Amino acid sequence: MTAAWAMVRHRFASFAGTFVAVFLGVAVVAGSAALHLSSRPQAPARYDEAPVLITPPDPGTGDDRDRQSWTAEQAAALSTRLGELEGVTAAVPDPWFYVQRVEGGRPVGDPQTALQDGHAWSSATLGSYRLTGGRAPSAPGEVVLGTASPAGTPPSQTTAGGTRAWTPGGEPKTGNTTGPTSESPARRTTFGQQAGPGRATASGTVEVLTSAGPEEWRVTGTVDGPGFYVSDREAARRASGVRVLGLTVTGDPQRVADAARAVVGAAGVVRSGAERDALEPNAVTRIRWIGAQLLIALVMLGAFATVFVVSSTCALSAAQRRRELGLLRAVGATPGQVRRMMYGETALIALVAGLLGAPAGMVAAPLLADPMVRTGLEPAGFTVTWQPAAFAGAVVLGLFVALAGVTAAARRASRISPLDALREAAADPRSMTPARWVVGLLCGAAGAALLAAMPSLPLETRSSAGLGAAMLLLSSAALLSPVLIVPLVRVVARPWRSTATGMLVREGTLTGVRRVASTAAPVLATVGLTVLLAGTVATIEVATGIDETARYPAGNVLVPDGTPGLSAAAVTAQGAEPELTTRVLISRGDRTSGMSVTGRGDALILDRISAAQLGARGGDTVTIRFADGVEAKLQVAGVEDESSVPRSLVRQHDPDALTGMLVLTKEAVAVPGARSVPIHEFVMAEIDEEGQLIDLFLLALIGLTAGYTAIAVGNTLLMATAARRSEFRALRLAGAGTGQVLRVVTVEALLTVGVGAILGGLVAVVSLAGVRAAVEDEIGRDITLVVPWGATAAVTVLCAGLAVIATAFPVLKTAPANS
Amino acid sequence: MTDHGTPAVELRAATRTYGTGERAVTALDRVDARFEPGTFTAVMGPSGSGKSTLLHCAAGLDRLSGGEVVIDGVPVGNLSERALTRLRRSRVGFVFQAFNLVPALTAAQNVALPLRLAGRRPEPGAVTAMLAEVGLAGRERHRPSELSGGQQQRVAIARALVSRPAVLFADEPTGALDAASGAAVLRLLRAAVDHHRQTIVMVTHDPLAAATADRVLFLADGRVFDELPGGAGAERIALRIAHAQHTVVAR
Repeated sequence: MTAAWAMVRHRFASFAGTFVAVFLGVAVVAGSAALHLSSRPQAPARYDEAPVLITPPDPGTGDDRDRQSWTAEQAAALSTRLGELEGVTAAVPDPWFYVQRVEGGRPVGDPQTALQDGHAWSSATLGSYRLTGGRAPSAPGEVVLGTASPAGTPPSQTTAGGTRAWTPGGEPKTGNTTGPTSESPARRTTFGQQAGPGRATASGTVEVLTSAGPEEWRVTGTVDGPGFYVSDREAARRASGVRVLGLTVTGDPQRVADAARAVVGAAGVVRSGAERDALEPNAVTRIRWIGAQLLIALVMLGAFATVFVVSSTCALSAAQRRRELGLLRAVGATPGQVRRMMYGETALIALVAGLLGAPAGMVAAPLLADPMVRTGLEPAGFTVTWQPAAFAGAVVLGLFVALAGVTAAARRASRISPLDALREAAADPRSMTPARWVVGLLCGAAGAALLAAMPSLPLETRSSAGLGAAMLLLSSAALLSPVLIVPLVRVVARPWRSTATGMLVREGTLTGVRRVASTAAPVLATVGLTVLLAGTVATIEVATGIDETARYPAGNVLVPDGTPGLSAAAVTAQGAEPELTTRVLISRGDRTSGMSVTGRGDALILDRISAAQLGARGGDTVTIRFADGVEAKLQVAGVEDESSVPRSLVRQHDPDALTGMLVLTKEAVAVPGARSVPIHEFVMAEIDEEGQLIDLFLLALIGLTAGYTAIAVGNTLLMATAARRSEFRALRLAGAGTGQVLRVVTVEALLTVGVGAILGGLVAVVSLAGVRAAVEDEIGRDITLVVPWGATAAVTVLCAGLAVIATAFPVLKTAPANS
Repeated sequence: MTDHGTPAVELRAATRTYGTGERAVTALDRVDARFEPGTFTAVMGPSGSGKSTLLHCAAGLDRLSGGEVVIDGVPVGNLSERALTRLRRSRVGFVFQAFNLVPALTAAQNVALPLRLAGRRPEPGAVTAMLAEVGLAGRERHRPSELSGGQQQRVAIARALVSRPAVLFADEPTGALDAASGAAVLRLLRAAVDHHRQTIVMVTHDPLAAATADRVLFLADGRVFDELPGGAGAERIALRIAHAQHTVVAR
């Protein structure tokens, strides 16, 4: 209705809080959603020329790692049959294996990407990569070097040409690990020029690390794509089976895909179009998953903060407009019309704020792409694309969230009596309504229930559940705060009750409980969320620290250094046997279970959980499908704590497997891609690495909430104080100087912040206790509750500072110049 | 004046008490009053005599504890809040002492507000004509902050009269105005009664204002204790009020 528009235009100042809250909320949601939607799974670029990709059948365990492999023979047979199809120009198996470049004795590049950097030369066709110089690899030890930087690997610096002698500790992979051979000097120079920055050394050889150990390969050529390309036979030998088969086609890919489906049958899954994108490497998927967690949390918090701020601002502004709303009622507005006007005003504000906020968020999103890639929250090469759904969704969400926030205030406003138009500024009406009690208690109960249910929830939903519980508990505290404000203020103000300031503050606060509750609410949310987020992380960090150290004995461990795992050579150099970890699929009857097992000893041992899943006991025979796609029948030798399969079988069927880490019994022998560290330090480093990521999350989330609620603190106090100008005028007439008025409002503001901080802190500590109980329950040990005093103090001081400024401003603005 | 036909407003044994138990205060005590169409009645009385309560209850802004209020033939006791609002919107106009206008709206929008709230589009020119009638031609687009107190009160009168209500209630309409503006406002009210047969009930404690009315009701302790014709003059009215105050003090 037109009145709503006129109201908004006239009283924009009192809608500013809603406007800012919705603007920021929509910007955060639009930006996060744009980032999230832009981060889609994508088939690796090296399949760009293969519109049809075929993968082995999915065993249906729900874990991507259990995607089966074809054996090299199966893949070859399949590709022969597919190659005969009409429209197929080439059917190429793509076996891959771990290769990482070594420069100056240190492995370079992203370890996770390196796991799939070794390819068969024929697979270069799938990405339409062409030789830019030299010839294709044919003999063992020959390689064609990719000159393009693969995703996730920054181009490394050019190294000095000198090669360091290195004796591989494991079985020699090739008979030819020597340096430059028959290449002419002129030819080598050509390679150096064409190879791009640091891809090929001038000497025509390249030092690499594989699952076997350090090797030196002879560079026979360069190619305009990323990775290392060896002869097909070499690749088949090194790779653990084949997991992708690509088709290059002429004509309609869809028709080829249909034909391929008929040929492949149950032996594989044919993927064309968008289905190809499921072939995104796991490492990339994981990175995107981490990023998504942060973005989802940002959206949740953004929406929550908006509701919170809008509701407290609207409640306050409705209370301040009592007379105006009463007048409307007196001249004939029905309660429903008043309610609809409140909704109309808020909808209008929210729409304008949203239409401005969404573009702001969309503009900011691409700026965040780079930092997110750098901090490992999005894969390299991630770019933000235009996302209309994010834009529209954020605007609509902002509208709904704002309307949700105004609901309570609108309901209350509609009950204003026409007589309110005739009353002078009324004393606060009842501070607690039945609805407030009911909703407050319900929120509290729901939050507590969610907290109690945490241990039984799946791991990946726990962080969201924790956040949800915190939001419910904080809403509950905000709703029930009027009950607690009265006794709190009485206690706090007791020492000063005989002074004029003390009396004014005490009575002003006690007669304006709703006002105090409105202004304390944002402080409550800020302090509560900060303490809870920071405290949960600190508590869990301490807990995991204990947990991880408990698992290892004292001493040193050999750990990967810039690599995804330890090579066989690195392990045998220490006089130990590689402890290879591999993924196998074990089935018995119609039950199948995918599991990660270690190659150890010479018998099959099942852990209790898997044994129970399979219904297998010692002496039973089970079928194991190894990483390379080969199946074997083995007898279960026993059921113990950890699963293991015979070491020799792992080495045979997963040649690309790496050792995770090695407990050292004596002084470590130096090897590239590995380093020796004390166990404690290793554990701490692991925690640190995780901690850094968590700290980043914390910073983003606390920054968002604190920034948000800080706006609300300032806004609500500014509104509340501005509305009390006549009260201050009366105070002045009664003989109070500006200084005294200022002192009263400052003390009131600080009291409000104090009340909010205490309530927020209490809620957070209760929630923290719940989190601790959940963790204790999980690890079966007592852990200490960590209260993040530093962060708590920081946000409280921030709130207090803002509160003082926001209250002093309207007072000073109206102060007569001569007082 | 006349005793036939439907009164614009009628109070029958109207009682209003506030609070409960020992702290209960009786603001209106079994008041009977009729306000005939086309009459101008002033209600006077000392502070706390119940004159504002009488106005609020008669206007359907406040509900009675006992007795009955009939506005334009409709008993309001059993009406829902919504129905009561609609009745007020169509049959009752208000002018308050101050804070009469919605500050966000222009003079014209304020005048049209009751019609718009009723979902009716004001007839073309009706709002302008109404403003011209109160002497504010050309001020349609002014906002309340751009008008003087007297002008604001005249806009309020225009708004109260635009829906041609059965009765207009005025609560100290001149209380916040200087003498000249107050006199202008009273002339407007008088003109509405004389020219349009408008019924007006006005609460005031200014004997001069009361003298403009056809009839003056005197209230004390929630009861009507006397009645004078407006023509009796401001002096007699002031005397009667002084007497009432004296009576209250004596008790």
